[in-house]
Amino acid sequence: MLSDLMYRLRSLTRRGVMEQELDSELRFHLDREVDKHVAAGATRAEAERRARLTFGGLDRIKDDTRDARGVNAAEHLMQDLRYAVRGLRARPGFSAAIVAALALGIGANAAMFGVVDRLLYRAPAYMAHPDRVGQVYLTATTSSKERTYAQFEYTRYLVFLRNIQSFDRAAVVGYRHLPVGVGEQTKEAQVGAVSATMFDFFDARPVLGRFFGASEDQTPSGSAVAVLGYDYWQSQYAGAASVLGSSIHIGNGIYTIVGVAPRGFVGFTEEAPPVAFIPVTAFAATRMANYYKTYNWSWLSMYAREKPGVSLAAADADLTHAFTSSWLDQPASTVPPVAVARPHAIVASVHSGRGPTAGPQARIALLVMGVALMVLLIACANVANLLLARAIARRREVALRLSLGVSRWRLLQQFAVESLVLAVASAVVGLFVAHWSSTVLTGLFARPGVPSGSVLDARTLTFAGTITLVVALTTGIAPALHAMRADLAGALRDGSLGGGRRRSRAATSLTLLQAALSVVLLVGAGLFLRSLSNLRELRLGYDADSIVFVGANMRGAKLSDTELAALDQRMLGTAQHAPGVENAALVISVPFWSFEGRGAPVVLGKDSLDKLGAFTMQTASPTYFATAGTRILRGRGFLPSDEANSMPIAVIGQTMAQAIWPGENAIGKQFRVGGDSTPLRTVVGIAEDLHGQRFTGDPEFWYYLPLSQAPEAAGQLFVRVRGNPADAVASLRKLLQPLMPGASYINATPLSDMVGQEQRPWSEGATMFAAFGVLALVLAALGLYSVVAYAVAQRTRELGVRLALGARAPEVARAVVGQALGLASIGIVAGSVLALAAGHWVTPLLFDESPRDPSVFLGVAAVLIIVAGAASLIPAMRAARVDPAHVLRMD
Amino acid sequence: MDADRLDLPQGTLDLLILKALSLGPQHGWAISERIQQVSRATLQIPQGSLYPALHRLERRGWIRAEWGASDNNRKAKFYELTRTGRKQFAEESAAWDRLTAAVSLVLGMS
Repeated sequence: MLSDLMYRLRSLTRRGVMEQELDSELRFHLDREVDKHVAAGATRAEAERRARLTFGGLDRIKDDTRDARGVNAAEHLMQDLRYAVRGLRARPGFSAAIVAALALGIGANAAMFGVVDRLLYRAPAYMAHPDRVGQVYLTATTSSKERTYAQFEYTRYLVFLRNIQSFDRAAVVGYRHLPVGVGEQTKEAQVGAVSATMFDFFDARPVLGRFFGASEDQTPSGSAVAVLGYDYWQSQYAGAASVLGSSIHIGNGIYTIVGVAPRGFVGFTEEAPPVAFIPVTAFAATRMANYYKTYNWSWLSMYAREKPGVSLAAADADLTHAFTSSWLDQPASTVPPVAVARPHAIVASVHSGRGPTAGPQARIALLVMGVALMVLLIACANVANLLLARAIARRREVALRLSLGVSRWRLLQQFAVESLVLAVASAVVGLFVAHWSSTVLTGLFARPGVPSGSVLDARTLTFAGTITLVVALTTGIAPALHAMRADLAGALRDGSLGGGRRRSRAATSLTLLQAALSVVLLVGAGLFLRSLSNLRELRLGYDADSIVFVGANMRGAKLSDTELAALDQRMLGTAQHAPGVENAALVISVPFWSFEGRGAPVVLGKDSLDKLGAFTMQTASPTYFATAGTRILRGRGFLPSDEANSMPIAVIGQTMAQAIWPGENAIGKQFRVGGDSTPLRTVVGIAEDLHGQRFTGDPEFWYYLPLSQAPEAAGQLFVRVRGNPADAVASLRKLLQPLMPGASYINATPLSDMVGQEQRPWSEGATMFAAFGVLALVLAALGLYSVVAYAVAQRTRELGVRLALGARAPEVARAVVGQALGLASIGIVAGSVLALAAGHWVTPLLFDESPRDPSVFLGVAAVLIIVAGAASLIPAMRAARVDPAHVLRMD
Repeated sequence: MDADRLDLPQGTLDLLILKALSLGPQHGWAISERIQQVSRATLQIPQGSLYPALHRLERRGWIRAEWGASDNNRKAKFYELTRTGRKQFAEESAAWDRLTAAVSLVLGMS
């Protein structure tokens, strides 16, 4: 063993010496052999010939001997590496093209992997036993519709705690945007109102102080203590230890800082990292006195950890039992009986993207990941094509070395090392691409507030390393095998002319693959762009682009109803007279923000309207319709004369009118909102429909009441401005803030931002598909160009002959372009078939767009034809310029 | 190739090399010559395998090499058995004897 080691060591460290020794040893043998034959009477020349014949190939023996020494693998690798690097440096353009193509492919994949991993797979930071932790979802049937809930009441959590047995941990968390700080410093920030048990899910230790415990998280109102988030502690307190014991204003309360969470600790949230954690009971008590006894504030997500060995079915059964107990605990008048509601609870992934209420975000991220893989595939096909061309050019070299006794295995190794060097170089460049693009990608995919930054870390790097290896194998091995399959004699005889046909067959298939895949991606891009533009053109039912939403956050300032109403009027008046403002109105409901759901209106003589759909109430001041831009289709809107003591009126949405009074004129009909004591309201106008909660799916039923007839503190304004709402935000805030009492403050946001936030899934899809589609198109164009250019180079002689025989240059050029167009056409057909087959994947992600939209397919075909024509133009011109005399003289 | 020359059965080359070296240190060429002579030219050493075999045995520590002067005063690489090599040779030749005896017995069955 030791001798073996020493021997290997010596062979490695003293490689030069050992090579020399082997050389003289073999030479000595040969000389003795020659001497022997000479002594037997042969001539010197004859003796040498016979000695060499019995000895065999010197190189091969040396190779075998090196193998026997056992250091060969490492040595060969070094040799191959040097050889590969030298070869690649000798052709910088070629190498750069390959590295660029692969780097884009690898980089895009690494970045997308980082995004998808975070959205769907990676356990939250510091979590212990993530495989046993899940989020609790509830399902129940109300108003004859089964609904799934991710959020519920603190009271229900208490019932769960008393009932569940299969779990060793349970916690509730409510992450909220709350004003933090006082005075000028006040900023809205993410705060985690969490049960003390949440910390038990994590292997995290506070970097300073302590987490809060069960004794500080008790009903009715827990202790006012706070644990700061690491980043906030760093940025706001410069990481000072003196922060412990000082107080911090969060929401309406003042909390004592008792600890600082470790870096990166966020608890259970996929949104912005919280600046602080406070006991859920302490926070809830500032909002509602009876929060732990009632069932009307659903705001908490619940997480639970199964005991080891508990099956999923048992866990779900246990939860369902607890849920049923809590259902029975609710006042019977407020919910349907258990037999009807069939309450059911499950534990699902802590990643909301994999849970039952997942939005399209995760699906789109997965889809884009698939698209990135396709781009990588295209890049690989392209690179394989380039390497293939090179392998063919090297056929002679390969054949020569094979005939000199170099084993095929060694050659294959050498090819593999070469593509590995390429792939690794590409991976390095690709990681820069990933680093750069991940900032953009997380910006696109992460929830607002999550710091956009590099996604590069150990998991992503491992992934990038793996795909790099796969890329090296797929791009390197095929051309290598291709080159070596060649028969020796043929290759040596034909020289560089040989192998052309086989090469072009392989290259053509690779090009077709690229073209077809690009068609698929481009069709995807087209569909998503169309879908986005459909969405943008969708009439929302209000002019989001002209409206600033202004909200007053009272932050604990205690005002009487009269004072609040007066404040509303002052805000309205100030806003209305602000420069650049066309109109303003007080509103109760705000699209994609907050809704006043009062359940279905009650129509005399009709059954419960709940079955028809979900109703939303808007209560607003008289100028509402002019301010929002919501059109009145029939009848009238609000009038200043709709006073508290005049006839109670309502305006209702078109679809709602048809749903309640099908085929009838709804104007003049009556309904009431709420109990029997509320007045019957007469419908005086029909408004256009409105998208305030979603863009697809069931229509929304909105109805409008004048604020004067349903008085309520609005605290919210729509302000219609001339020009860009974003420019008006700052001045509106400045004008309105002086009206606010105490710590209360004004928020102002362009309404289009709030709508745009909801359109993100569609715009993400469109952006990513368009980017990758263009990338794919560029790669396909390069591939096409190289195939056509190569074919022209191969056929130079033939073209020369044809020109000599009287063919005219334009005809020759046309033939070349025709070849490219032919290839493109086959690619278009194959790609279209693929795209049609894959269409159902994207259907749910498209807005009002068929995945078979012929205009998209035709457009893509046209683009590909144009690109193919352009790619073949240079080779075609070269073909037309072939000089027959010159070509014919070449042989 | 002469009809009365035999190709070496797989794996016997190592044994022959060990045998040749058991008689004293030798260089590669002499090893091949000696085997050929002693076998009355029946055994043809495939020269292509001789040196890989020598280096393999050296790596295993059964033989060791040293540069010395050959009979015609040229520098040559001489191989000799190590102690392990000697033991290995004894074991392998005994095993070979048993094998050939057994094979002859079977072949001599009447």
